[in-house]
Amino acid sequence: MLGPGLFRAAWMFVLFGGIGFGLVVLTRWGAGWHPILLLEPLVLVAGLVAAPIGFLAGLGAFDYWVYYALGYPTRAEDHSGHGAKSWRDYFRVNTDHKVIGVQYLVTTIFFFLAGGMLAMLVRAQLAKPNSHYFDPQTYNGLFSVHAALMIFLFIIPAYAGLANFVVPLMLGAPDMAFPRLNALSFWLLPIAGIMMLSSFFMPGGAFACGWTGYATLCSQHQPIGAIFFNQGVQWAGASSIMTALNFLVTIITMRAPGMTFWRLPLLVWANFTTSLLVVIATPFIAGSQFFSMFDHVMHTSFFDPVGGGYPLGYQHIFWFYSHPAVYIMMLPGFGIMSEIIAVFSRKPIFGYRLMALSLMAIVVLGFSVWAHHMFVSGMSSWLRVPMMITTLLIAIPTGIKIFSWLATIWGGKLHLRTPMLFALGFLSMFVIGGLSGVMLGAVPIDIHVSQTYFIVAHIHYVLFGGSVFTIFAGIYYWFPKMTGRMYDERLGKLHFWLTFIGFNLTFFPMHILGTEGMPRRVATYLPKFADLNMFISLASFGLGASTIIFLYNMITSWRFGEIAPANPWHAMTLEWQVTSPPPTFNFDEIPQVVGSPYEYGVPGAQHAILAPSKAREMEEVPV
Amino acid sequence: MRRGSIVALVGIALIAGGVAAAVALLPTWLPETASREAGRIHFVIWFVVVICIVIFSVVAAVMIYSVLNFRAAEDDWEDGPPVHGHTGLEITWTAIPFVIVTAIAIVSAIVLSRNDAQAKDTLRINVTAQQFEFTFSYPDAKNITSPVLRLPKDRSVELYMRSLDVIHSLFVPQFSQKEDIVPGLVTQLHITPTRTGTFPLECTELCGLGHSLMRTQAIVMEPSAFDAWLKQQKKGAAPPASSTTSTSTTTSTSTTSTSTTASSSAAGLSVFNSYGCSGCHTLTAAKATGTVGPNLDKLVAYAKQAKQPLESFVHESIVSPDAYIQPGYPKGVMPPDFAQKLNPGQLDAVVTFLVQSAQQAGKKG
Repeated sequence: MLGPGLFRAAWMFVLFGGIGFGLVVLTRWGAGWHPILLLEPLVLVAGLVAAPIGFLAGLGAFDYWVYYALGYPTRAEDHSGHGAKSWRDYFRVNTDHKVIGVQYLVTTIFFFLAGGMLAMLVRAQLAKPNSHYFDPQTYNGLFSVHAALMIFLFIIPAYAGLANFVVPLMLGAPDMAFPRLNALSFWLLPIAGIMMLSSFFMPGGAFACGWTGYATLCSQHQPIGAIFFNQGVQWAGASSIMTALNFLVTIITMRAPGMTFWRLPLLVWANFTTSLLVVIATPFIAGSQFFSMFDHVMHTSFFDPVGGGYPLGYQHIFWFYSHPAVYIMMLPGFGIMSEIIAVFSRKPIFGYRLMALSLMAIVVLGFSVWAHHMFVSGMSSWLRVPMMITTLLIAIPTGIKIFSWLATIWGGKLHLRTPMLFALGFLSMFVIGGLSGVMLGAVPIDIHVSQTYFIVAHIHYVLFGGSVFTIFAGIYYWFPKMTGRMYDERLGKLHFWLTFIGFNLTFFPMHILGTEGMPRRVATYLPKFADLNMFISLASFGLGASTIIFLYNMITSWRFGEIAPANPWHAMTLEWQVTSPPPTFNFDEIPQVVGSPYEYGVPGAQHAILAPSKAREMEEVPV
Repeated sequence: MRRGSIVALVGIALIAGGVAAAVALLPTWLPETASREAGRIHFVIWFVVVICIVIFSVVAAVMIYSVLNFRAAEDDWEDGPPVHGHTGLEITWTAIPFVIVTAIAIVSAIVLSRNDAQAKDTLRINVTAQQFEFTFSYPDAKNITSPVLRLPKDRSVELYMRSLDVIHSLFVPQFSQKEDIVPGLVTQLHITPTRTGTFPLECTELCGLGHSLMRTQAIVMEPSAFDAWLKQQKKGAAPPASSTTSTSTTTSTSTTSTSTTASSSAAGLSVFNSYGCSGCHTLTAAKATGTVGPNLDKLVAYAKQAKQPLESFVHESIVSPDAYIQPGYPKGVMPPDFAQKLNPGQLDAVVTFLVQSAQQAGKKG
């Protein structure tokens, strides 16, 4: 009853919600404001702030800190919060980075499915012009919540989940630097996701102003669902910032002896640079959503021109986060690619230092390009040319990475296992997305195609063909390490080919719709676009169905798959030198790092020396 | 590298390039050009597309060649050659993209500055956007208004655009020009039409529930025909407009040429059309087919449901739209500020018009 867990979380959720409710009612009654039961402040304070805090407190996310703050004796750390002995351990506040990594991945895949279902409904409506499956409010809610879930509840946290599992292992560390903070940042996520989904059940419907939530449409002309988006972003953003701080401290302070920055695996470099982006940029979107919500609930005038506000101010603040966010959704994928391509080509990564430096270049340049989302927004026109130049320049470090991966593959000994197939699929799709990005960077082209289906095609080539392919690649690659079992290779390859083909059939024709002039975010369109839209809708249902194979493979392999050896891919990085799944504290003794993690083919080269441990004894295949 | 492998690599690159070129050429990608700006923008598009095809072919060739030639046997986990990098290559693939993007930036900047340059005899047109309709007015011709954008061929035109509520965007694919319309700002868009004809004009920035239907047309006319049209419109607008519009050239946001005194159904229809009602409502008498809000052909039945007399029901529904919500339609969608936007004469005219049309529709139905 009083112990931390889901039961206490349930009643504390209700209790805190009630306190929030009472607070609003008492204040309004005391001040003589009518009506006393006003929906918006009640939902905001009781439902979107107080109740979730109660849920977290009930779950036990704050126990240690509360004991400490109140001066009670804190329980000695007995590591009882570490590791998972049964499935129940995944439903409590667990401080083990490996458990948290799996919690992240399962949660994000749930929201990936939810977001995917919403996309199927959007395509159903768009299969024919003038369909009436949904009323306009619901329809606009479908694509808005789809995008918000995919971005804030799938791509960004799925990378955080993969990195959570892998980065401490790769560094030779026993856990993250702040395990309790790590657990808290995971549990913020389901709150954000459920908040966004539940906006569909509010009076007036879900938020329906697109995931970009532009003022003044979102800040003044929306039903109460809009503040579910504003607040959902806050919870997901807080989770993101805390995780990024955790990664930065872990990577800077917890590297094993000998693990210099130039010996870090590129996945660690990628998460280091991503975390820099998150920590610097995310507060901006938090600000933009607070301002927008204040305009909505409290009638401030941050963005309302009638009260002296400036609608374009929202876009500048929003994109100052959301452009770097594009790289937050890409750099960890670059890291996954570098690991997989080196291992399955059996070659050192080509141009390691330039690969790491180009990540840093993207971080720096990434903060100077945001207004390329605003070339036709009505901002000062002089800003367009400088922002075009920085935007085009970012193609250079990105190009370096693509050419270096190609050079890594060249002359190697390729193993086309499922992770490698997804890696090669990523390479080809990301090249197309990158090239359409160069087109969008050129202002005259952007003027023609922005706000059309060309944008929809471009973002899906970058975020689906790019990010989602790398997430699939990463899940397949580390599946044996996470679960101790092998996935089904045949189903994996089938999943790849169906996804690859379905993806291209769905999203490539959208380029044509866009250049011909079909606007995005519409529920109906001119009859001349009907044939292509029907084709796209049919292809998208095929693409959606391919996910079923992935799910089936993951679930059955997790239960019944072949037992995985410690190092099925013969990789050099540290996570593969321990058992699958790794012991609770990762290493019996902290390893001594003596070389680069990619010395494939170099006679006698070693990445690290591990103390004689269980890992060696368990090794089944001699290298 | 062996000669044979170079030949194979070039061969694959040519095939990939050929396929990409076919994809670029066979479907109709771009609408016909109907403005000088569109011609220049299409040039930039093709310039960049050619570069993209070359880069794509190189990447595809290296990948396909590698997959075909460098496969290892399933259980052969031997390592490949320990190549760590090649400074010359790395400098090359940093330098070449730099040159390419510089070229794209220069071409783009030149086209941009030419497209924004106004000619001396530029025609000014004011655009007012609101949920979910555009209104165009011609300050050189006593601010006569039109729900479609009429332009003279071969003359430089500058649109000065305002929004009354949220952000909209004006786009005519055949003109290749687009700009957002932001509340509180006046944004500009420059067009020089080169082809007569009727083209779709659409809002491309999500602006609310009727966004998908916020469309009208741009009609490019021969200059003589355009002048004749302007003259004719001026005549129609002259008597009532003479007293009000002379001072309102700069604040023409909501001024219409509609007579404010006449209460005939023509005046009501004009108010209905120029205030965007058709974006959301269906009304046979106005040829409106919107489906966001209630069907106004059924007003008689709705008034019965609301237990109010028809005329006061219609009046109330316009000035305080949330007072009674017809079941099945969302609350808070209809702008609540028509009581301020319409003057009493306009309000009466549109109420009378709606009552008459609804009674007629009721009889037919």
